[in-house]
Amino acid sequence: MPEFRTWNLDQFKNWIDLCLHCGACYARGPIVPHNWRELPPHEYAAPHKKCPPFEYFKFKNYSPQGRQILASLIFNDRYEIDEEVIRSFFSCTSCAMCNEICIPYQPLYTVLAMRQEIVEKGFEIPGRLKKITDNIQSSGNIFGRKKHAKNLGLPETGEDIFFSGCYATYLQRETALTSVRILKSAGINIAHLGDKESCCGEMLKQSGNMKLFKKTAVENVEKLKQAGAKRVIISCAHGYSTFKNDYTNSHIVGALPFEVIHITEMIASLLKEGRIRFSKSLNKTVTYHDPCFLGRQSGVYAQPREILEAIPGLTLKEMDRYGKWSYCCGAGGKVTLNAFPEMAKETGKERLLEAKAVADTLVTSCPTCLAHLKKTAKTEGIDIEIVDLSMLVATTMELSD
Amino acid sequence: MPDENLIKELKAIVGPEMVSTAPTVCESYAYSFSLSIDWVTRPEIVVMPATTRHVSEIVKLANRYKVPVTPKGAAGMTGHGGPLHGGILLDFIHMDKILLIDDKNMKAITEPGCSFFKLAQELFKKEMILPTAEYGPGPNVAASAITPVNGFGKTRYGRNIDLVEGFEVVLPTGEIVHIGSMAYAETDFGPFFRYITGPDLIGLFTQSNGAYGIVTKIAYRCLKRPPYWSFFTYYWPLEKIRKCADVLQETTAMELFDVHINDKWKFEAFKFLTGVSLVPDDCYFCVIFSINGFSQQELEGKRKTVAALCSDLEGKELPGIAETFFDAWPTFFCPPTHPVAAQLADAGYKATKGGYMYMYDSMNYPLSWFPHVYEKIMEIAQKHKIHGPPRLTVFDGFPMKSQVMCSQTWAFVNRKDPEWMQAIHASKEELRDWFGKRGGTYQQCFPPVLPDFTWTNQKSAHTLMKRFKQFLDPNNILSPGTF
Repeated sequence: MPEFRTWNLDQFKNWIDLCLHCGACYARGPIVPHNWRELPPHEYAAPHKKCPPFEYFKFKNYSPQGRQILASLIFNDRYEIDEEVIRSFFSCTSCAMCNEICIPYQPLYTVLAMRQEIVEKGFEIPGRLKKITDNIQSSGNIFGRKKHAKNLGLPETGEDIFFSGCYATYLQRETALTSVRILKSAGINIAHLGDKESCCGEMLKQSGNMKLFKKTAVENVEKLKQAGAKRVIISCAHGYSTFKNDYTNSHIVGALPFEVIHITEMIASLLKEGRIRFSKSLNKTVTYHDPCFLGRQSGVYAQPREILEAIPGLTLKEMDRYGKWSYCCGAGGKVTLNAFPEMAKETGKERLLEAKAVADTLVTSCPTCLAHLKKTAKTEGIDIEIVDLSMLVATTMELSD
Repeated sequence: MPDENLIKELKAIVGPEMVSTAPTVCESYAYSFSLSIDWVTRPEIVVMPATTRHVSEIVKLANRYKVPVTPKGAAGMTGHGGPLHGGILLDFIHMDKILLIDDKNMKAITEPGCSFFKLAQELFKKEMILPTAEYGPGPNVAASAITPVNGFGKTRYGRNIDLVEGFEVVLPTGEIVHIGSMAYAETDFGPFFRYITGPDLIGLFTQSNGAYGIVTKIAYRCLKRPPYWSFFTYYWPLEKIRKCADVLQETTAMELFDVHINDKWKFEAFKFLTGVSLVPDDCYFCVIFSINGFSQQELEGKRKTVAALCSDLEGKELPGIAETFFDAWPTFFCPPTHPVAAQLADAGYKATKGGYMYMYDSMNYPLSWFPHVYEKIMEIAQKHKIHGPPRLTVFDGFPMKSQVMCSQTWAFVNRKDPEWMQAIHASKEELRDWFGKRGGTYQQCFPPVLPDFTWTNQKSAHTLMKRFKQFLDPNNILSPGTF
């Protein structure tokens, strides 16, 4: 099938129709009935509700099929961009469930192409997205904070470099420091770019600003290369996906001169090698929320579960929607959170209630999901503990500060 | 611009967030099939009702404002559902509850927006099935009953509507009526039988596109699911078309689950682009049999009977097609998830520069006429140079138990190539003329529909339909332009 992930805008514009119009992404309910002998296995058992903006805004233009139709029309100069078009495309959470459903057309990439078209045609992007773009340019992070706050007290060069990302550094510094402690306990000489570390640029891509995204990507790769990186360990699901899936596109950076690994992959690997051990028993039932950018976007499903199952006393219970059918937390690649906060809250609430139905603790491995779910639980009064996987690992390893 | 007071009143009925007049919202509902087909049915207002009462109030309001109301067929793969004259589009996609599954009496009742796949899974859990031709996830239960939809809406047992036993309908006046088994849904016996005292009114709403009333609940008669299944394929060369046709006639008359026929061009797109053939060189017609039984012996008996018949009529077995499509996961029921279907879509995509396939008609005719119709389709395709790669006219046939063939003809099209487009349109018109003059009817007809044999072949019936319409809907509110 066409590699839509790697397509540029002009390639999208060459095609008349980007949809089979089968309705799999749009219709609620299963995408497969049964094969007369059995119900579909998990791989094909898509959930009833699939697309957060469609569930929130209800109309077809908020479904993947509706967006594919609008994009085809706009790319072929048969329809003009207006405010509702911008809302339709920027309310997409980039959760990528539509890509799991529609192998031929991979609708998420059309959304990202349309965002680029919207920006390149000079339309204003919604919510705080423009401010975030400015922040990345002026301060190197999405929050517009001072760069020196990034310092984790680690050497700035080395073969193993920890890339902390904006969320873990500024909002959940403890998760970044905990990740570092786990790595150090396994004997890894971990380094960090300190105040030289800049935002991965994911928000630039998500906001349709591909020129700035490419510039950021090239600069980040160069800085890591200069620092001697052979392996970059990332605790943020978004940063990880950006390095692994986007930087590697030939029209962005191409093949990277270092390995990219997520902290959960690293912990699972250290555990298998016997370099870390879980000693403290945690008698609790937890459920795991697959971050969209770690799960569907990057294929990391097994490692977090291997880690949880290895923790003494802990029971893992899956939610109705898990693995490749996991539902978005609502933060929506941080775009929904910053452009459509009410939708982000409602989606987060739905996910939290789904988690609460099976467990008292929700574990995740993405700082954005963590922050958004925690905030939503608090504002909506949903009594559930929300924990970062690395923090849980540090507890069972009995690592002190 | 829609009347502001109408919008206010609509919002008061269903809630402000369930009504939209935004051009972009309306535009997204204007296309129900490939954009290669310039068939645009754009509403001016989209409304999402949540209850029958909502539908009734909306229809009453539409009468007051003299604004058309059209129910939306389904999510996709169902042809050109949509408002022919603007006005209000009712989208039922969120009105999708299953209201009853009675496994003792083998009945199901759902809201109109419930998808077939959802109902199929719930029935499966209770050891029942609906024998639908499930080739896509989009269609919903009401759409397949009221619109002449593509692919869906028919089974080897006939039309899906043959399995419908009752409707709840909102009439053009806003009055709510219950017909067939639904008239007795609230009694102790429940909705047990379609044929209640008086004439069978269900037919009035069948293929009506919602012009006589809007279906808000639908009652289905289900079948018991046999536990034993087998899927296999036989093939014939082109010169044996009559032998193949005899097999279709014989096997559709038997108690088999499904019989389906394709010509080799369905697989040629794959071969055209990859050089890999999925079928042998002497294969021209592939017939896929789906059989079932309540015991292994019954299944084996049926399979032996079909195999013997195919062999006697010079068919050869072709392993690996039916089994792969229907037996193993992923099945072909959801084309986007199936690797072969995805590759075929890709092949079509490349061949047509994103123009995709153009289905130029979905036709019904006596099964005994299959060889004549097929030969005519291909004769016309050859004449207009849409036969063979890269335009690849494909035949897709659903022979039904009533000895009726419903077949679709597809061809690839590059919409940016005017010569190619002209060839497709010329083929369509010539075929439609030949077919219509012989009394063929359409499961689905692609626009422009002229000369319209759908109506000219049945003048007296058409007059009666119009009279009913005038009587039931004097303001011509519901789906105007249907008849």
